[in-house]
Amino acid sequence: MKKTWIIIEREYLTRVRKKTFVISTLLFPLLYVALIGGMGFIAEKSKETLTVAVIDSSGYFTQEAIATENTIDPSSTLVLVNNAPQENNKEEEKKYDGYIIIPSLNWQQGTDSLIFNTYKSYGSASTGVVEAKLNRIWRRLLNDSLQLDVNKQSILAQSKIGLVTKNISNQLANSATAVGIGYIAGFLVYFILIIYGSQVMMGVMEEKTNRIAEVIVSSVRPFQMMLGKIVGIGAVALTQFLIWIIFVFVVYNIGAKSGTSLGFMTEAVGGIQRMMGSVNVPLILGCFAFYFLGGFFFYASLYGAIGSAVNEDMREAQSLSFPVTMLVILSIAIMTAAVANPTGPIAVWGSLIPFSSPIVMMARIPYGVPDTVPLWQLGLSMGLLVAGFLVTVWFAGKIYRTGILMYGKKVTWKEMIRWAFTKG
Amino acid sequence: MDSILSLKHLKKHFESQKAVDDISLEIERGQIFGLLGPNGAGKTTLIRMITGIFYPDQGEIFFEGKKFDPLIDVAKIGYMPEERGLYKKMKVGEQALYLAQLKGLDKQAAKKKIESWFHRFGMESWWDKKVEDLSKGMGQKLQFVTTVLHDPSLIILDEPFSGLDPVNTNLIKDEIFRLAQEGSTIIFSTHRMEQVEEICDHIALVNKGQKILDGTVQDVKQQFKQHQYRITGKGLDRLALEQAPFSVVSQKDNALLIQIGAQNNSSNVLRFLLDQQVEINSFQELLPSLNDIFIQLVGNTPTARTFEKI
Repeated sequence: MKKTWIIIEREYLTRVRKKTFVISTLLFPLLYVALIGGMGFIAEKSKETLTVAVIDSSGYFTQEAIATENTIDPSSTLVLVNNAPQENNKEEEKKYDGYIIIPSLNWQQGTDSLIFNTYKSYGSASTGVVEAKLNRIWRRLLNDSLQLDVNKQSILAQSKIGLVTKNISNQLANSATAVGIGYIAGFLVYFILIIYGSQVMMGVMEEKTNRIAEVIVSSVRPFQMMLGKIVGIGAVALTQFLIWIIFVFVVYNIGAKSGTSLGFMTEAVGGIQRMMGSVNVPLILGCFAFYFLGGFFFYASLYGAIGSAVNEDMREAQSLSFPVTMLVILSIAIMTAAVANPTGPIAVWGSLIPFSSPIVMMARIPYGVPDTVPLWQLGLSMGLLVAGFLVTVWFAGKIYRTGILMYGKKVTWKEMIRWAFTKG
Repeated sequence: MDSILSLKHLKKHFESQKAVDDISLEIERGQIFGLLGPNGAGKTTLIRMITGIFYPDQGEIFFEGKKFDPLIDVAKIGYMPEERGLYKKMKVGEQALYLAQLKGLDKQAAKKKIESWFHRFGMESWWDKKVEDLSKGMGQKLQFVTTVLHDPSLIILDEPFSGLDPVNTNLIKDEIFRLAQEGSTIIFSTHRMEQVEEICDHIALVNKGQKILDGTVQDVKQQFKQHQYRITGKGLDRLALEQAPFSVVSQKDNALLIQIGAQNNSSNVLRFLLDQQVEINSFQELLPSLNDIFIQLVGNTPTARTFEKI
């Protein structure tokens, strides 16, 4: 036991002290924030101010109506012209970004759509404002034609039926938030399994190809060696996540105090605040820790077994780990279905079976315990996951013991399974 | 002398191979024991059972008089496998400290021991260097230090000199002698027979999973001697050989290589030579080298066994 602890300590410390750990821990949240901020920034930046020629045959789009609208919303400019521009007219192309021909219309019927002829392609952020402009002009025209006063106009403007889902048995389960948290939690578990699972595999391969394995197995049992590596690397993953959670809380508090000085930051803080209010945060964090560790043990031991069985060849490792990686990816597919229908059979089975439960259950839990996820399902899922990782750790230990001391032979899964069931 | 390690009818069978097939051995305290055998003879499997890596299928191991308990006794064994390595990215000092702790030493004691060994081998400046910056020979020295650091009573060295220059080979050799002098027992496995003759007191030869030879180096040589003698002196070229109690294998100027029959001995030969007025400069029995014995005993083993399947 003490020796396992010494191994855990080494596995943990050598990784945490590495520059790559510090960099990736710091960089990931920054990248995350930059990505969200960047997307908003790019969307804002790519919005263009368009100058659009309008050729009106209906008589409704008068010079006056267009001028009024241009002063209300200057984010694009409409210009009334008499003739449609000719094809390949460079002059027109320079003056206008595009043109709209309005056919003769009857105001009672209107039209479904008009064609916006452009010389280049524009995003919906840019064309949307032109559309809105035309609609406002049309609305004013209708108001005048129907002789609606300001009162009636505001009644019309406000009359709109929206649909908001509300889970009446659990007020906390706000569906949109649940979807968001479910996706985030599921993907986080996915990343941990893939990234840290392959770290376990690489670590075992390193020990094998370095030929240090035989030196160490004369001091400790191979099983202790494998367990020490898995627990050590799991602790590294946990550390990284604790740092990120602290980071979120710090940003949250700074953002809350500094008010509105940082645009996207306060938006994020507001989002977190709303989320925290609407879901059971301690439950989700607790379950997250459980499923992340359980899933990690389940998969890391399999990856460890693969690492012990292969030689230096990276391709060999990849082909052996492919089925395991496929299980993780399949779990993500099940999760997508589970988020859409958290009480359906796929979601329920996916969250009970150990190989997919870490990802799928994390996507279901934000919908609410115990109404969307009954307590018996949560308990059974946790119990099965513990049983599952005990089996994979045992299985991997058997393979590891044989594999770590065997060189120069290409192995298959069939052979590895046979090792697990032969005496040693 | 009491025996530190005694193996009784050890067997270890793998799926397609009897890797170790009924081997018994007694190794005495303070001995330097040579464990020899061709590739794939079962040496590594035997050693892995002694170091607790494998459990024997049958048979028993007694260590220091008691039944071998891998969990406890590995702390008293130092094993340097043939295929050995270290963590490349780890610092030399930390690496030694780590391996010592895995052998059960506590950190402070381990540190003191490492410092004294590093001092002995002139390695003090290596402490903060990374293992990947060491040359192969330097790594080998570090590996030796980590093997003997915890004062094991049984040290198992598999090809300890591979990759070492003559100076460092002598350094390690002297340490082996010193450790044996101080009471450690050393099992030494190698293919280099001249090293075995130089270092070992006792040898065992293993082939196809079985022990085919066991004894002191001198006894083994006596056992396999061809009864050949080399004589140098004046007058050897005019010997009347009709009555000689030996046959001549080869003759060159004033040297003679002879073969004595079973019914004769060296005294008869000498008496005959003196009667013939030969002026003898030297008279020496030719003992076979361990290399010759090794080849004689295992030379015809098919090499297919080299591809040992585990």
